[in-house]
Amino acid sequence: MMKKMKYTKKLFKHKNPYDLEGTDALFVQAMRENAVFQYQNCADYRRILDEFDFCPEKIGSMEDLVRLPFLPTLYFKHHHLQSVPPGKQLIKATSSGTRGSMSKIGFDFHTLSLGLDMVIRVGKYHRLWSATPVNYIIFGYQPTAGNQTAVSKTAYGFTFFAPALSRTFALEMTDSGYKLSWDKVLRAFERCSVSRFPLRTMGFPSYTYFLLKEMESRGLAYSMPKGSMVAVGGGWKQFYSQQVDKHEFYRLVKKILDIDEENVIEFFGAVEHPILYTDCSHHHFHVPIYSRVIIRNPDDFSPLENGKPGLVNLLTPMIQGAPLLSIMTDDLGILHSEKCPCQTASPWLEIVGRVGISDIITCAAGAEKYLKE
Amino acid sequence: MILYQGQLLENSEQERLIHSIERDLYQPVSSGVLLPTEIVINACDQLAGKIVKGDFGDILKPYLGLFPLTSAQFADMVGLFTKESLEYKCRIELCDEEMTLHGKVMRKRYPLGVLLHIAAGNVDVLPAYSVIEGLLAGNINILKLPMGDSGLSVRLLYELVRIEPLLKDYLYVFDVPSTETETLKKLAALCNGVVVWGGDEAVRAAKNMVDIDTKIIAWGHKLSFAYAESDASDQQLAELAQSICDTNQLLCSSCQGIFVDTDSQEDVLHFAKRFFEIFKQINQKSYPIDYGMKAKNAINLYNEKLEQHSTGTRILQADGISVLVCSDSSLQLSYLYRSVWIKPLAYDRLHTLKIWKNHLQTAAILTTDREKWQKIGSILARIGVVRITSGGNMSRTLCGEAHDGTYALREYSRIVEMEII
Repeated sequence: MMKKMKYTKKLFKHKNPYDLEGTDALFVQAMRENAVFQYQNCADYRRILDEFDFCPEKIGSMEDLVRLPFLPTLYFKHHHLQSVPPGKQLIKATSSGTRGSMSKIGFDFHTLSLGLDMVIRVGKYHRLWSATPVNYIIFGYQPTAGNQTAVSKTAYGFTFFAPALSRTFALEMTDSGYKLSWDKVLRAFERCSVSRFPLRTMGFPSYTYFLLKEMESRGLAYSMPKGSMVAVGGGWKQFYSQQVDKHEFYRLVKKILDIDEENVIEFFGAVEHPILYTDCSHHHFHVPIYSRVIIRNPDDFSPLENGKPGLVNLLTPMIQGAPLLSIMTDDLGILHSEKCPCQTASPWLEIVGRVGISDIITCAAGAEKYLKE
Repeated sequence: MILYQGQLLENSEQERLIHSIERDLYQPVSSGVLLPTEIVINACDQLAGKIVKGDFGDILKPYLGLFPLTSAQFADMVGLFTKESLEYKCRIELCDEEMTLHGKVMRKRYPLGVLLHIAAGNVDVLPAYSVIEGLLAGNINILKLPMGDSGLSVRLLYELVRIEPLLKDYLYVFDVPSTETETLKKLAALCNGVVVWGGDEAVRAAKNMVDIDTKIIAWGHKLSFAYAESDASDQQLAELAQSICDTNQLLCSSCQGIFVDTDSQEDVLHFAKRFFEIFKQINQKSYPIDYGMKAKNAINLYNEKLEQHSTGTRILQADGISVLVCSDSSLQLSYLYRSVWIKPLAYDRLHTLKIWKNHLQTAAILTTDREKWQKIGSILARIGVVRITSGGNMSRTLCGEAHDGTYALREYSRIVEMEII
């Protein structure tokens, strides 16, 4: 089974994580081998492809990938699809559940090792790896057996880019759920500001923002050691719904922690598409080679040209445990192909909204809740 | 902004005022004088006149932008607040104001006392409307503004007190967030009734907050549908489609789906195809659906397709609208925004809808046979439906109509019987 995934492995070993053009052919081949694998190992997926009269063996071009039936993230919230036996799923992750039901995805060894390749290369490109030990403050929760959200795992994973001197989690498990531990966080900031070693923080954009805002209102400000970094990420939905003005965020980071904008880094990804999107020095999320983005017209799902907003369809051959090779998110986005000053050649994805409307006047029973989902 | 005894004040004053509100709140009660309904009606009439003149254009316009109301529809809405309409409403709802029983007991309607209105979010005119109903019944009213209120309610109610200063002791508007349950509990404890607008969650929250000695008047969310016979005319179907397009199925009274009087799935499909063609034509003439909602429904329908193998649901879709042909007979919310389900429900099973009890509201009957109309209507009325209309009138508003099967002004009143001595 593993041997067959040779194109996927090759794709994930490719040196430049943003060389889209150079990996198009490889990406198509990797998608084919994954599609064939899913078709053979996941009955539900096989039924769907059959219903669409789509033969995975025949995938041979990017156009075929446009035709490949996608699965909406919504579908995973009601079906637990798996293509490898549960025993082989080493890690299980769930979406953060901000919108009601959650997706539950299992990751096997093969997928995890691909993920490691990806993280190594992307981390290198963005200069995240460091041999200098750092103090970590996580604006999130410590992963526990009871908490399988991808967010907490990503945040924890982030603490391996540089050796950890200490890890402080802002949210603590108490008898009544997670609680923000203010004293602990402030003590950690205090300690980090006088340390010889840099600080790295990680958390939801919104959590980080509101914590910094609270620190501002309390008149707190620190000067963090050189080389310190603020990383935000974890779920596009959170990111979009908070509407935190980025420039205001960078200003706050500088004011409260004395960390420059260029050292503020942002990630995003989703449980159903766990590809590490990392923003460039101009804060654009360039599409890495492990992923392709198709922006689709909601009228007929036909692909839209770059620059036009539409439904965001994400493709990756990375995951073996479930048929996640082409998923339809509930985000609206634009793929930009303008030249980016950071010199990264691949286009970048901008999330501009999500499907549905939040501000709505309704008194139909159940509609309020439905529209929020 | 908040409103306290006729004064517009900053939110920062709120905590202090609520703390000592008990002192002021019961003033009208201690005087023993009742608030004459005519005074409220006259003030509302003058206010309606100002609105028509465009005095509140700056804050009304953005609200009106949310709903594509024609100027005639807007005039109809404002028309509900004119002297003529309100007098009519009061005549109907408060028809048995005073009466002598057996020459021994004098029966008289009194206001419930103090009402706390917990208004729904996003519906700008509703909070003020709820308070006006409270006033018409003679109550002292405390309005808790919904989150993200545009300021329209405070402004309208402030204007009302300016027109009629006597109302100042009957109107309080606070901006207490729903999360401040202790403050809300304190206010509710001072009231005889809590009027809550909103979905099941909001009503449940209010019920949990209010003590057993306080009446709850819940204007909850409802579901509405149409019931069709095979002889329904194209005209009837077109009118229903128009009403669906006009309201985007967002109102309590909007049609979520159509039950067809049959047990045959073939008949349902036949009817669905017929309706779909008419629906498409009407949609083309209606204003376009919001992009985000169209996108949401596109995904929902695609997902429905993936589930088809187990649900058997047939989907007819075009131009962002859809008809889902289902085989079950349950009443449910549609995907909204011009997505209608069509299901079989033979006449002899019509009564099974009664399990939706208090969630039922409007049902349109689509048939050209008057006798059938009556028969279906009487069953629908028995199972809990409170408005029975033709397809085009599901969401029309008429002055004097009951609200969810009851009269608001009566809910805000109580009957006092006093022995004649």
